[in-house]
Amino acid sequence: MARRIAILAAGLALLVSACGGTSGGGASPAATTAAAAATTAAPAACTVGVSWNNYQEERWAKWDEPAIKAALAAGGGKYVSNDAKSSAETQATNVDNLISQGAKVLIVLAQDGTAIKPAVAKAIQNGVAVISYDRLIEDSKALYITFDNVLVGKLEAQAVFKAKPTGNYVVIKGNKADANADFLRSGMDQVIGDAVKSGAIKIVGETYTDNWDPSKAQTEMEQFLTANKNNVDAVLSENDGMAGGVVAALTAQGLAGKVPVSGQDGDKAALNRVALGTQTVDVWKDSRALGKAAGDAAMQLCKNSDLTKVTGTAPFKTPGGNTVSSILLQPNPITKDNLKDVLSAGWITKADLCQGVAAGKVADCN
Amino acid sequence: MSSPTVPTGATAQGRPAGSVRSLVAAIGSALGPVRATLSYLEVDTRLLGMVLALAIIWVGFGIVSGGTFLSPRNLWNLSVQSASIAIMASGMVLIIVSRGIDLSVGSMLGFLGYTMAMTQAVWIPQVLGLGFGQPYTWIVTILFGILLGALLGGLQGFVVAYAGVPSFIVTLGGLLVWRGLIFRYAQGQTIAPLDQNFQMLGGGTVGTRVGALGEWASWILGAVICVGIVFTLITARRRRHRYGFPVRPLWAEVMLGLVGCAAVMGVMWVANSYPLPINVAIQYAQEHGIPIPPDGLFIPTGLAFPVVIMLGVTLVMTFIASRRRFGRYVYAIGGNPEAAALAGINVRRTVMLTFSLLGALVAISAAVQTARLNAAVTNLGIQNELDVISAAVIGGTSFSGGIGTIPGAILGAVVMQSLRSGMVLLLVDSPTQDIVVGLVLVAAVGLDTFVRRGSR
Repeated sequence: MARRIAILAAGLALLVSACGGTSGGGASPAATTAAAAATTAAPAACTVGVSWNNYQEERWAKWDEPAIKAALAAGGGKYVSNDAKSSAETQATNVDNLISQGAKVLIVLAQDGTAIKPAVAKAIQNGVAVISYDRLIEDSKALYITFDNVLVGKLEAQAVFKAKPTGNYVVIKGNKADANADFLRSGMDQVIGDAVKSGAIKIVGETYTDNWDPSKAQTEMEQFLTANKNNVDAVLSENDGMAGGVVAALTAQGLAGKVPVSGQDGDKAALNRVALGTQTVDVWKDSRALGKAAGDAAMQLCKNSDLTKVTGTAPFKTPGGNTVSSILLQPNPITKDNLKDVLSAGWITKADLCQGVAAGKVADCN
Repeated sequence: MSSPTVPTGATAQGRPAGSVRSLVAAIGSALGPVRATLSYLEVDTRLLGMVLALAIIWVGFGIVSGGTFLSPRNLWNLSVQSASIAIMASGMVLIIVSRGIDLSVGSMLGFLGYTMAMTQAVWIPQVLGLGFGQPYTWIVTILFGILLGALLGGLQGFVVAYAGVPSFIVTLGGLLVWRGLIFRYAQGQTIAPLDQNFQMLGGGTVGTRVGALGEWASWILGAVICVGIVFTLITARRRRHRYGFPVRPLWAEVMLGLVGCAAVMGVMWVANSYPLPINVAIQYAQEHGIPIPPDGLFIPTGLAFPVVIMLGVTLVMTFIASRRRFGRYVYAIGGNPEAAALAGINVRRTVMLTFSLLGALVAISAAVQTARLNAAVTNLGIQNELDVISAAVIGGTSFSGGIGTIPGAILGAVVMQSLRSGMVLLLVDSPTQDIVVGLVLVAAVGLDTFVRRGSR
């Protein structure tokens, strides 16, 4: 028995190492389509290499990659890519591989923004322009393209503040170990800070939520409602999942739809709540806009490698103390009035968005 | 108390523990009559100690929060918030009693919750094309969930019992695998909204339907439980007579019955003292043509469904643990696995079944949690294993095996949740909450060990 297991294990190990061997250099399934694009492009097409950190996640294949490809096709560029399968070491090799495949511009979705630095620095020394995509790479010579997280918090607060400029506020923050929780909170403070100081807004409850856990957010909200005898006028929830917990707690008190609630992420369930009127705003970050911005920037960098000459760039001070050129995209706050944005973008189907919405109540659901 | 001070080093070293012991002894002798009464009543003193600890926590929070903590509304919320962990803790007791551990409950809860949400929101209405809002959706969903839970739990139990892999490792693997499966198939997607009947299981509100028994059903349930208590006392007394065992004095039996019934009716009274929230009540009144009196509308909510489920689970699990052969085997295995095997107990089968049973209970908790949230999210149940194990351990379950009770674990869950939600009420932030709960966990077990050693 033991021997049989040993043989089995050895066989497995062989199989795994064989798979690793073929994918180590790592051409992703997407790379094959690049050949087709190359034939249609002009002979002197500029090659743009994309290094994905983990192509298995739905988002990259579904939203980001097609947008990048479309932008490159429009500019006459050639697309090559590979996948690091969540390994920082593999990604470093992948970056080298893309350069040897002739890439003049690299778009890097970093697995680890620090670990990738040597590979990126080497690429830049070789005259290859680097775009850090969605996640920051701490290198002052790389162009940083992302959504503005502080702005997300600001937009969440703006929509709620517009609905309830005074009164008792509850703030449900995300995981205390996640820096984004504080970025979002600082954005909120830009909107409500003055009103809090003047006393127009009173924060009657504010807490971090372990793991951004919606069930915990629900319990927190129940306790805040109990402590204030339901005198809560508005809730700033940092994301959609926790907003779900908050709305469940409000529903139990018959307050859902009466108390404004914020969120972000563009979750289907949350967009449905916006249509139903139980959530005020869902700040939506369209990954395709991010992909297009990166593709467009790459085509410009093909012609001129000066980062500051790329349209729409601004200097950005990183947490590591570097100043990088950046393009910070504007997220889109989705409220009842602009639900058509997510529909026309094909982000969500009408059936999902409008499930349970009474006929004639919401214009975009008719 | 005034023990003479001895200046020599050797005896001074032993003094702190000694003086604490003598203090305990002094309190013990002062409580002599109480102790005698307790021994007549044959009450589990550890359980009584826990009830006392809970009372101290409640009164403490009640005073600091200016009475809010002890309001019917907060106690009602607390009961619902505790239910899901309590249900799982009752199964965890049997696992720990038989010297195992299950670290996978949180991940499995997420996986089962997600599967049940898919069943009712996607598979039944859309894939099978049967449509939303079918009357049978909720029951099909929960039966499927319980079956799947028992299977997955049984699978882990099988590897533990028959392949001989330590349960710590198997369920640590389960913790990663089940969570990984959720992320793999959910792709970060939240499944919502859920079936309206299913939502009732979480004690939530849909329109004017509330997931609770309502006034009269609560009183009736209370009365039924009372009759049950009296009936159990009488039959137990008869049985003891028949076999010639000593019986409690009659006054002790009467007192037990009265205290038990008073406690049950007290719970129902609290649940009925919590009125429907005003917005829900007004809508309810309008729909049912009830005139709204000038001094406000008071419609009692009654015991919440998750709590009813929890009570049912407690009853069944206590029965299994103390009255069925399977339960006695579990305790025998925990006390001495070799002796149990030599006595002819099928240890492997019994161990596998404990995991399967916990899997089924996790499915019930998953139903309660998703129903309460009205959504299944990818991080559902994350770190719940810690709460469940803590509840069992605070409730007196011993890691050395053979010791632990179901009611103790339920009380442990309530103690944990009381601390958590009490602190949120007082605006204590989550890092401080973690520190307090952690300290209480260690202190509870430490005190328990100390008292047990002292009583030996």
